[in-house]
Amino acid sequence: MSLILQCLLDSVLLGGLYSLMAVGLSLGFGITRIINFAYGEFIMLGAYGAFFCSTLMGIDPLLSLPLVAAGVALIAAIIFQLCLGRALRAAPINQILLLFGVGLVLQNVAAILWTGDARSVTTSYSLSGEQVGDITISDGRVVAFLLAVLLIAILLMWLHRTELGRATRAVAQNRQAAVLMGINVTFIYLLSFALNAALGAATGAISSFLLTITPFMGFHMLVKSFAIVVLGGLGSIAGTLAGAFVLAFAETVVAYYVPEGIGWAEGVAFVVLLLVLIVRPQGILGQSEGVA
Amino acid sequence: MIASRGLVLTLYVLAAVIAVALPFGVGPLGVNLMLRAGSIVLLGISWNLAANAGLISLGHSTFWGLGSYAALLMADRLGWSFAASIVPAAALGAAVAVALAVITGRLRGIYFAIATLALSEGLRAMAVMLPDVTGGGAGIFISQELRPDARTVAIVTGLGAVGACVIAHLLSRTPFHYACRAMRNNEHSAQMLGINPLRIRVTVLALSGAIASFAGAVNIWYGGFLDPDIGFDLHITILAQIGPILGGINTLAGPIIGGLATLAISELSRSWLGAQGYSLLVYGAILIVAILYMPDGIAGALRRLRPAPPARSIGS
Repeated sequence: MSLILQCLLDSVLLGGLYSLMAVGLSLGFGITRIINFAYGEFIMLGAYGAFFCSTLMGIDPLLSLPLVAAGVALIAAIIFQLCLGRALRAAPINQILLLFGVGLVLQNVAAILWTGDARSVTTSYSLSGEQVGDITISDGRVVAFLLAVLLIAILLMWLHRTELGRATRAVAQNRQAAVLMGINVTFIYLLSFALNAALGAATGAISSFLLTITPFMGFHMLVKSFAIVVLGGLGSIAGTLAGAFVLAFAETVVAYYVPEGIGWAEGVAFVVLLLVLIVRPQGILGQSEGVA
Repeated sequence: MIASRGLVLTLYVLAAVIAVALPFGVGPLGVNLMLRAGSIVLLGISWNLAANAGLISLGHSTFWGLGSYAALLMADRLGWSFAASIVPAAALGAAVAVALAVITGRLRGIYFAIATLALSEGLRAMAVMLPDVTGGGAGIFISQELRPDARTVAIVTGLGAVGACVIAHLLSRTPFHYACRAMRNNEHSAQMLGINPLRIRVTVLALSGAIASFAGAVNIWYGGFLDPDIGFDLHITILAQIGPILGGINTLAGPIIGGLATLAISELSRSWLGAQGYSLLVYGAILIVAILYMPDGIAGALRRLRPAPPARSIGS
């Protein structure tokens, strides 16, 4: 019984972080209709940002997070100005391959600058835990969960309560109508690309004290984000949140109940992704309109 | 653009003769370079065949890795020789590609691309988790006494690359090629014209998978060592797409020109920068520059230099 409870608790905590990670990708796609194949690299940059703030300046990842997110958002804005902005009307596959190239460059620049060594941030809460009955609650994961929930709440508030947020949603719903309402669509694209990078970086900063940081960590995070976003339905924030918890639950169950489960859990995302694409490409809550 | 039949035939025969003769004239470094050139052309043609039908693969390492593992296991478990292992390995690639074509029957564009990416990563995870079969993360060596001379492997790779060029060339003259093009532009309309999309998908992917698996199988006999990260390496996926994109996607010569150009650029950058780690960085930069500034690749840029024949649109 306690194993089931432990499993549920772990999946909820992991689901929080996955939600934040996938919401970034989902938001970017929902607005620009471009799948950000360099998304994993923004997560990686965020993790490195938090790592260096922590080791060089002694700033806790929780405090450096806004700074790191802003820095990565700036990098993303520059990338948008330099290349992505020119490819807004290109075929989707060109945009994907372009971002794929951007990801490759970021990944390998990181590998050259910071070597391929695995690193991690150690904080007072990253390794400690509470014991409640038979259940262990990892402090680091609780912190990560709360932070993720807070950031998603802020994002939703921004999207629904502010002028710019409403404009962003308007562009997501109908580009032409948004143009007619006097919204600067290119600026909204730039903003949402930077925002999606900032969310990725925030995910990276939070995972810096949970996971090992390497220049190549982004690819796995990207595939997991894909699995979640496709599972929930491309472009649906509610679906993405649901998908994040489904994936977290599936991974945790496999890790706990399957022999050598920790290793197999890494493969769950791929299986989920393939299954969803085959059985229900529009996802749990996605609309089939706009697919393809 | 269309050269006379005799000239083209001469070119292919010449390429085949060079493929057989060259390894005897150069040292081990030359053999290595020739192997890589052959592999990049094979991968590029394989990727381009699928792209021609609108099937953009982001997981071509799937087929390469399957081919490598198949050849290696046939050698280690069954004692099969180099010559005996190549065809079954390519057949396995074709079979998996057919399965992929059937199960992704409804997927198009981005969704197909993501499915291929998930497939290759899923296979990589499987290879790590099944050490009894694949040697797991620690890797596995191919049976040393069965390994042929590197020269033989280079000749087979070279001839394979020429063969793939010939196949792609012959295909480009059949109605099948036009059916693929119609599918790429609009699958629904193609269906209205009496084209069966599933049949095209299955055929094209089988061919594409077989060629990539062939390349993987031949390469493992040269390299000798395999682990999941080598077999299902993202590097291979990138190699497969970068040649056609740089050379000119959906053109006949594109994957060949682009592949060789990529190889040349990566060799030059290695000799300037002097490190192995830069090759992926260079590939990334090539991808970005090619897509932004040469969306039709080298072939397209060359075509724009000469006066276009009036009232006849090429491509698309």
